[in-house]
Amino acid sequence: MLMPKKVKYRKQQRGRMRGKAWRGSELSFGVYGLKVMECGYITDRQIEASRVAMTRFIKRGGKIWLRLFPDKPVTKKPAETRMGKGKGAPDHWVAVVRPGKVLFEMEGVTPDIAQEAMRLAAHKLPLKTRFVMRHDVVMTTAAK
Amino acid sequence: MPSTELVTAVTREGKFNKNAARRVRMAGKIPAVIYGAKEPSVAVELDPKQILRILHSESGHNTIFDVDVKGSARVKAMIVDWQYEPIKGSLLHIDLKRIAMDKAMIVEVPIHLEGIPVGVKTEGGLLDQVLREVEIECLPGDIPPHITLDVSGMKLHDVVRVSDLPHEGKLKFITDEDATVAHVTVIKEEVAPEPDAVAAAVAPAEPEVVKKGKQETEEAGGEAAKAGGKK
Repeated sequence: MLMPKKVKYRKQQRGRMRGKAWRGSELSFGVYGLKVMECGYITDRQIEASRVAMTRFIKRGGKIWLRLFPDKPVTKKPAETRMGKGKGAPDHWVAVVRPGKVLFEMEGVTPDIAQEAMRLAAHKLPLKTRFVMRHDVVMTTAAK
Repeated sequence: MPSTELVTAVTREGKFNKNAARRVRMAGKIPAVIYGAKEPSVAVELDPKQILRILHSESGHNTIFDVDVKGSARVKAMIVDWQYEPIKGSLLHIDLKRIAMDKAMIVEVPIHLEGIPVGVKTEGGLLDQVLREVEIECLPGDIPPHITLDVSGMKLHDVVRVSDLPHEGKLKFITDEDATVAHVTVIKEEVAPEPDAVAAAVAPAEPEVVKKGKQETEEAGGEAAKAGGKK
Protein backbone atom coordinates (compact mmCIF):
# COMPACT_ATOMS: atom_id res chain seq x y z
CA MET A 1 0.00 0.00 0.00
CA LEU A 2 1.05 3.59 -0.58
CA MET A 3 2.23 5.49 2.50
CA PRO A 4 4.89 8.10 3.32
CA LYS A 5 8.39 6.86 4.11
CA LYS A 6 8.99 9.43 6.79
CA VAL A 7 6.61 11.73 8.69
CA LYS A 8 7.09 14.56 11.15
CA TYR A 9 4.16 13.56 13.35
CA ARG A 10 2.40 10.19 13.65
CA LYS A 11 -1.13 11.55 14.06
CA GLN A 12 -3.04 14.42 12.49
CA GLN A 13 -6.27 16.27 13.12
CA ARG A 14 -9.03 15.86 10.56
CA GLY A 15 -9.12 19.41 9.16
CA ARG A 16 -11.65 20.86 6.70
CA MET A 17 -12.19 20.23 3.01
CA ARG A 18 -13.45 23.52 1.62
CA GLY A 19 -13.33 24.89 -1.89
CA LYS A 20 -12.26 23.37 -5.18
CA ALA A 21 -9.03 21.84 -6.41
CA TRP A 22 -7.51 24.82 -8.22
CA ARG A 23 -4.26 22.92 -8.57
CA GLY A 24 -4.02 19.50 -10.15
CA SER A 25 -7.34 19.98 -11.94
CA GLU A 26 -6.06 19.65 -15.51
CA LEU A 27 -4.46 16.78 -17.41
CA SER A 28 -0.67 17.06 -17.12
CA PHE A 29 0.81 13.76 -18.32
CA GLY A 30 -1.67 11.63 -20.20
CA VAL A 31 -4.50 12.03 -22.66
CA TYR A 32 -7.36 10.68 -20.52
CA GLY A 33 -8.12 11.23 -16.86
CA LEU A 34 -10.54 10.61 -14.02
CA LYS A 35 -11.69 13.77 -12.29
CA VAL A 36 -13.34 13.73 -8.87
CA MET A 37 -16.53 15.77 -8.44
CA GLU A 38 -16.83 15.76 -4.63
CA CYS A 39 -14.53 16.30 -1.69
CA GLY A 40 -13.56 13.42 0.58
CA TYR A 41 -10.97 10.91 1.68
CA ILE A 42 -9.62 8.18 -0.61
CA THR A 43 -7.81 5.45 1.31
CA ASP A 44 -4.59 3.72 0.31
CA ARG A 45 -6.51 0.49 -0.35
CA GLN A 46 -9.00 2.23 -2.63
CA ILE A 47 -6.16 3.82 -4.62
CA GLU A 48 -4.42 0.46 -4.97
CA ALA A 49 -7.68 -1.30 -5.96
CA SER A 50 -8.34 1.34 -8.65
CA ARG A 51 -4.80 1.09 -9.97
CA VAL A 52 -4.96 -2.69 -10.15
CA ALA A 53 -8.37 -2.58 -11.89
CA MET A 54 -7.07 -0.18 -14.54
CA THR A 55 -3.75 -1.96 -15.06
CA ARG A 56 -5.35 -5.38 -15.45
CA PHE A 57 -7.93 -4.06 -17.90
CA ILE A 58 -5.50 -2.28 -20.23
CA LYS A 59 -2.89 -5.08 -19.79
CA ARG A 60 0.32 -3.89 -21.45
CA GLY A 61 -1.44 -1.41 -23.69
CA GLY A 62 -1.02 1.86 -21.90
CA LYS A 63 0.64 3.92 -19.22
CA ILE A 64 -1.01 5.09 -16.00
CA TRP A 65 -0.17 8.00 -13.72
CA LEU A 66 -1.46 8.37 -10.15
CA ARG A 67 -1.97 12.03 -9.29
CA LEU A 68 -2.84 11.49 -5.61
CA PHE A 69 -0.90 10.16 -2.62
CA PRO A 70 -2.29 9.08 0.75
CA ASP A 71 -0.25 11.27 3.10
CA LYS A 72 -2.78 11.76 5.92
CA PRO A 73 -2.87 9.23 8.77
CA VAL A 74 -6.26 8.13 10.11
CA THR A 75 -6.38 6.70 13.61
CA LYS A 76 -8.76 4.13 15.05
CA LYS A 77 -9.53 3.00 18.57
CA PRO A 78 -9.56 -0.74 19.29
CA ALA A 79 -12.92 -2.53 19.26
CA GLU A 80 -15.01 -2.47 22.44
CA THR A 81 -13.05 0.39 23.94
CA ARG A 82 -14.67 3.11 26.03
CA MET A 83 -14.38 6.69 24.84
CA GLY A 84 -11.58 8.89 26.13
CA LYS A 85 -8.07 7.83 27.15
CA GLY A 86 -6.51 9.66 24.24
CA LYS A 87 -6.43 9.37 20.48
CA GLY A 88 -6.32 5.91 18.89
CA ALA A 89 -3.42 4.32 17.03
CA PRO A 90 -2.70 5.06 13.35
CA ASP A 91 -4.79 2.66 11.26
CA HIS A 92 -4.49 3.62 7.60
CA TRP A 93 -3.57 6.45 5.24
CA VAL A 94 -5.85 8.62 3.12
CA ALA A 95 -5.53 11.20 0.35
CA VAL A 96 -7.68 14.28 0.86
CA VAL A 97 -9.27 15.31 -2.43
CA ARG A 98 -11.33 18.32 -3.37
CA PRO A 99 -13.72 18.58 -6.34
CA GLY A 100 -11.97 19.04 -9.67
CA LYS A 101 -8.84 17.04 -8.83
CA VAL A 102 -7.56 14.67 -11.53
CA LEU A 103 -6.92 11.37 -9.76
CA PHE A 104 -5.54 9.16 -12.54
CA GLU A 105 -4.20 9.77 -16.02
CA MET A 106 -3.74 7.34 -18.88
CA GLU A 107 -2.10 7.25 -22.29
CA GLY A 108 -1.46 4.79 -25.09
CA VAL A 109 -4.95 3.28 -25.43
CA THR A 110 -8.08 4.08 -27.44
CA PRO A 111 -10.74 6.30 -25.83
CA ASP A 112 -13.13 3.36 -25.42
CA ILE A 113 -10.59 1.28 -23.53
CA ALA A 114 -9.55 4.26 -21.40
CA GLN A 115 -13.17 5.05 -20.53
CA GLU A 116 -13.91 1.45 -19.54
CA ALA A 117 -10.72 1.23 -17.45
CA MET A 118 -11.61 4.48 -15.69
CA ARG A 119 -15.16 3.22 -15.10
CA LEU A 120 -13.77 0.12 -13.39
CA ALA A 121 -11.43 2.29 -11.32
CA ALA A 122 -14.26 4.67 -10.36
CA HIS A 123 -16.24 1.73 -8.95
CA LYS A 124 -13.50 1.25 -6.33
CA LEU A 125 -13.78 4.86 -5.13
CA PRO A 126 -16.24 6.34 -2.63
CA LEU A 127 -16.73 9.61 -4.56
CA LYS A 128 -18.44 10.77 -7.77
CA THR A 129 -16.05 11.01 -10.70
CA ARG A 130 -16.05 12.01 -14.34
CA PHE A 131 -13.99 10.79 -17.31
CA VAL A 132 -12.04 13.62 -18.99
CA MET A 133 -9.82 13.76 -22.07
CA ARG A 134 -7.80 16.34 -23.99
CA HIS A 135 -9.80 18.20 -26.63
CA ASP A 136 -6.93 17.99 -29.12
CA VAL A 137 -6.42 14.22 -28.96
CA VAL A 138 -4.43 12.94 -31.93
CA MET A 139 -4.64 9.17 -31.95
CA THR A 140 -1.25 7.72 -32.72
CA THR A 141 -1.57 4.36 -31.04
CA ALA A 142 -2.66 1.25 -32.89
CA ALA A 143 -6.21 0.26 -31.98
CA LYS A 144 -6.20 -2.58 -29.50
CA MET B 1 -0.88 32.25 -36.90
CA PRO B 2 -3.04 35.17 -38.17
CA SER B 3 -6.78 34.64 -38.31
CA THR B 4 -9.74 36.61 -39.65
CA GLU B 5 -11.63 36.27 -36.36
CA LEU B 6 -12.88 39.53 -34.87
CA VAL B 7 -13.46 39.62 -31.11
CA THR B 8 -15.58 42.43 -29.74
CA ALA B 9 -14.65 43.65 -26.28
CA VAL B 10 -16.35 46.14 -23.98
CA THR B 11 -14.26 48.15 -21.53
CA ARG B 12 -15.00 47.41 -17.88
CA GLU B 13 -15.53 50.32 -15.54
CA GLY B 14 -15.96 50.75 -11.82
CA LYS B 15 -14.46 48.21 -9.43
CA PHE B 16 -12.26 45.30 -10.55
CA ASN B 17 -12.82 42.98 -7.59
CA LYS B 18 -14.30 39.50 -7.20
CA ASN B 19 -17.88 40.76 -6.99
CA ALA B 20 -17.57 42.75 -10.20
CA ALA B 21 -15.99 39.77 -11.98
CA ARG B 22 -18.81 37.51 -10.77
CA ARG B 23 -21.40 39.94 -12.11
CA VAL B 24 -19.66 39.90 -15.50
CA ARG B 25 -19.78 36.08 -15.54
CA MET B 26 -23.43 36.05 -14.47
CA ALA B 27 -24.20 38.25 -17.48
CA GLY B 28 -22.75 35.55 -19.76
CA LYS B 29 -19.42 37.30 -20.44
CA ILE B 30 -15.94 36.74 -19.03
CA PRO B 31 -13.56 39.31 -17.57
CA ALA B 32 -10.32 39.81 -19.51
CA VAL B 33 -7.36 42.13 -19.70
CA ILE B 34 -5.48 43.44 -22.75
CA TYR B 35 -1.86 44.52 -22.32
CA GLY B 36 1.45 44.75 -24.18
CA ALA B 37 3.04 46.85 -26.96
CA LYS B 38 4.09 49.48 -24.39
CA GLU B 39 0.52 50.68 -23.96
CA PRO B 40 -1.51 50.74 -20.72
CA SER B 41 -3.50 47.65 -19.82
CA VAL B 42 -7.26 47.74 -20.33
CA ALA B 43 -9.80 45.66 -18.39
CA VAL B 44 -12.51 44.37 -20.72
CA GLU B 45 -15.29 41.81 -20.92
CA LEU B 46 -15.64 39.32 -23.79
CA ASP B 47 -17.93 36.65 -25.15
CA PRO B 48 -16.52 33.27 -23.93
CA LYS B 49 -17.89 31.44 -27.00
CA GLN B 50 -15.62 33.43 -29.31
CA ILE B 51 -12.59 32.71 -27.11
CA LEU B 52 -13.40 28.98 -26.87
CA ARG B 53 -13.75 28.86 -30.66
CA ILE B 54 -10.25 30.35 -30.96
CA LEU B 55 -8.76 28.06 -28.29
CA HIS B 56 -10.23 24.96 -29.98
CA SER B 57 -9.22 26.06 -33.50
CA GLU B 58 -6.33 24.44 -35.37
CA SER B 59 -3.82 27.09 -34.29
CA GLY B 60 -5.25 27.13 -30.72
CA HIS B 61 -3.99 29.77 -28.31
CA ASN B 62 -1.37 30.94 -30.85
CA THR B 63 -4.09 32.40 -33.10
CA ILE B 64 -3.59 36.11 -33.80
CA PHE B 65 -6.94 37.84 -34.13
CA ASP B 66 -8.39 41.35 -34.19
CA VAL B 67 -9.84 42.77 -31.00
CA ASP B 68 -12.29 45.60 -31.35
CA VAL B 69 -12.41 47.47 -28.06
CA LYS B 70 -15.35 49.85 -28.09
CA GLY B 71 -14.10 53.40 -27.98
CA SER B 72 -10.58 52.70 -29.22
CA ALA B 73 -8.75 51.40 -32.29
CA ARG B 74 -8.79 47.77 -33.45
CA VAL B 75 -5.64 45.86 -32.38
CA LYS B 76 -4.08 42.50 -33.18
CA ALA B 77 -3.90 40.28 -30.11
CA MET B 78 -3.18 36.75 -28.91
CA ILE B 79 -4.39 34.73 -25.91
CA VAL B 80 -1.44 34.37 -23.52
CA ASP B 81 -3.18 33.02 -20.42
CA TRP B 82 -6.55 31.47 -19.68
CA GLN B 83 -8.20 29.97 -16.60
CA TYR B 84 -10.80 27.22 -16.47
CA GLU B 85 -13.22 26.48 -13.65
CA PRO B 86 -12.06 23.09 -12.27
CA ILE B 87 -15.47 21.36 -12.16
CA LYS B 88 -17.62 22.85 -14.92
CA GLY B 89 -14.67 23.56 -17.23
CA SER B 90 -16.01 26.99 -18.18
CA LEU B 91 -13.66 29.89 -18.89
CA LEU B 92 -13.06 32.25 -15.97
CA HIS B 93 -10.57 34.85 -17.20
CA ILE B 94 -8.45 35.62 -20.24
CA ASP B 95 -5.19 37.54 -20.72
CA LEU B 96 -4.79 39.06 -24.19
CA LYS B 97 -1.51 40.48 -25.44
CA ARG B 98 -1.23 43.11 -28.16
CA ILE B 99 1.01 41.79 -30.91
CA ALA B 100 3.51 43.75 -32.98
CA MET B 101 3.78 41.77 -36.21
CA ASP B 102 7.39 42.86 -36.83
CA LYS B 103 8.82 41.73 -33.48
CA ALA B 104 9.89 38.16 -32.67
CA MET B 105 8.06 36.53 -29.78
CA ILE B 106 8.27 33.37 -27.69
CA VAL B 107 5.30 31.01 -27.94
CA GLU B 108 4.50 27.39 -27.11
CA VAL B 109 3.55 25.27 -30.11
CA PRO B 110 1.89 21.82 -29.82
CA ILE B 111 3.75 18.76 -31.09
CA HIS B 112 1.71 16.25 -33.09
CA LEU B 113 3.09 12.75 -33.54
CA GLU B 114 2.24 11.06 -36.82
CA GLY B 115 2.26 7.37 -37.64
CA ILE B 116 2.55 4.20 -35.60
CA PRO B 117 6.12 3.32 -34.55
CA VAL B 118 7.67 0.01 -35.59
CA GLY B 119 8.37 -0.63 -31.91
CA VAL B 120 4.62 -0.46 -31.17
CA LYS B 121 3.50 -2.43 -34.23
CA THR B 122 5.88 -5.37 -34.06
CA GLU B 123 7.82 -5.25 -30.78
CA GLY B 124 4.94 -4.69 -28.34
CA GLY B 125 6.16 -1.31 -27.12
CA LEU B 126 4.23 1.79 -26.08
CA LEU B 127 4.70 5.26 -27.52
CA ASP B 128 5.00 7.71 -24.62
CA GLN B 129 4.78 11.40 -25.53
CA VAL B 130 6.65 13.26 -22.80
CA LEU B 131 6.60 16.78 -24.26
CA ARG B 132 3.34 18.04 -25.77
CA GLU B 133 4.34 21.64 -26.42
CA VAL B 134 7.69 23.15 -27.38
CA GLU B 135 8.75 26.75 -26.81
CA ILE B 136 9.89 28.55 -29.95
CA GLU B 137 10.92 32.06 -30.90
CA CYS B 138 9.77 33.51 -34.24
CA LEU B 139 7.89 36.35 -35.88
CA PRO B 140 4.13 36.31 -35.16
CA GLY B 141 3.36 35.68 -38.83
CA ASP B 142 5.58 32.57 -38.89
CA ILE B 143 4.06 30.76 -35.87
CA PRO B 144 3.10 27.26 -37.08
CA PRO B 145 -0.24 25.80 -35.89
CA HIS B 146 1.67 22.71 -34.74
CA ILE B 147 4.92 20.84 -35.33
CA THR B 148 4.32 17.43 -36.87
CA LEU B 149 6.81 14.66 -36.26
CA ASP B 150 6.75 11.32 -38.08
CA VAL B 151 7.44 8.57 -35.52
CA SER B 152 6.71 5.56 -37.74
CA GLY B 153 10.41 4.64 -37.89
CA MET B 154 10.92 4.49 -34.12
CA LYS B 155 11.97 1.13 -32.70
CA LEU B 156 11.80 -0.12 -29.11
CA HIS B 157 13.71 2.18 -26.69
CA ASP B 158 14.20 4.84 -29.39
CA VAL B 159 14.02 8.45 -28.17
CA VAL B 160 13.09 11.58 -30.12
CA ARG B 161 14.49 14.85 -28.76
CA VAL B 162 13.66 18.51 -29.41
CA SER B 163 16.66 18.78 -31.76
CA ASP B 164 15.05 16.06 -33.94
CA LEU B 165 11.89 18.11 -34.55
CA PRO B 166 11.55 19.31 -38.16
CA HIS B 167 11.85 23.08 -38.44
CA GLU B 168 12.80 25.75 -40.91
CA GLY B 169 15.27 28.57 -40.35
CA LYS B 170 12.49 30.91 -39.22
CA LEU B 171 12.03 29.11 -35.89
CA LYS B 172 14.41 28.99 -32.94
CA PHE B 173 13.83 26.45 -30.18
CA ILE B 174 13.90 27.90 -26.68
CA THR B 175 13.22 24.55 -24.97
CA ASP B 176 16.39 22.57 -24.20
CA GLU B 177 17.37 20.71 -27.38
CA ASP B 178 18.17 17.56 -25.39
CA ALA B 179 14.69 17.41 -23.86
CA THR B 180 12.81 14.20 -24.69
CA VAL B 181 9.72 14.59 -26.89
CA ALA B 182 8.69 10.94 -27.12
CA HIS B 183 10.07 7.46 -26.61
CA VAL B 184 8.99 3.89 -27.26
CA THR B 185 8.98 2.05 -23.97
CA VAL B 186 7.84 -1.29 -22.55
CA ILE B 187 5.19 -1.61 -19.87
CA LYS B 188 5.33 -4.66 -17.63
CA GLU B 189 2.05 -6.51 -17.27
CA GLU B 190 0.63 -6.70 -13.77
CA VAL B 191 0.82 -10.22 -12.38
CA ALA B 192 -1.63 -11.25 -9.67
CA PRO B 193 0.42 -11.51 -6.42
CA GLU B 194 0.57 -14.69 -4.35
CA PRO B 195 -1.63 -14.86 -1.20
CA ASP B 196 1.43 -14.74 1.14
CA ALA B 197 2.66 -11.58 -0.53
CA VAL B 198 -0.82 -10.03 -0.22
CA ALA B 199 -0.88 -10.79 3.51
CA ALA B 200 2.55 -9.22 3.93
CA ALA B 201 1.48 -6.13 1.99
CA VAL B 202 -1.75 -5.73 4.00
CA ALA B 203 0.10 -5.83 7.33
CA PRO B 204 0.30 -2.17 8.39
CA ALA B 205 3.73 -0.70 8.94
CA GLU B 206 4.26 2.73 10.39
CA PRO B 207 6.61 5.15 8.65
CA GLU B 208 9.68 6.56 10.31
CA VAL B 209 9.06 9.66 12.43
CA VAL B 210 11.52 12.50 11.82
CA LYS B 211 11.92 13.33 15.53
CA LYS B 212 13.34 9.96 16.48
CA GLY B 213 14.63 9.14 19.95
CA LYS B 214 13.54 8.56 23.48
CA GLN B 215 10.20 10.36 23.07
CA GLU B 216 8.90 7.99 20.39
CA THR B 217 9.92 4.78 22.17
CA GLU B 218 8.18 5.97 25.32
CA GLU B 219 5.07 6.82 23.33
CA ALA B 220 4.96 3.39 21.71
CA GLY B 221 5.40 1.69 25.09
CA GLY B 222 2.75 3.90 26.65
CA GLU B 223 0.26 3.09 23.92
CA ALA B 224 0.79 -0.63 24.27
CA ALA B 225 0.11 -0.32 27.99
CA LYS B 226 -3.00 1.77 27.29
CA ALA B 227 -4.33 -0.79 24.82
CA GLY B 228 -3.83 -3.51 27.41
CA GLY B 229 -5.55 -1.48 30.10
CA LYS B 230 -8.58 -0.69 27.95
CA LYS B 231 -9.59 -4.32 27.46
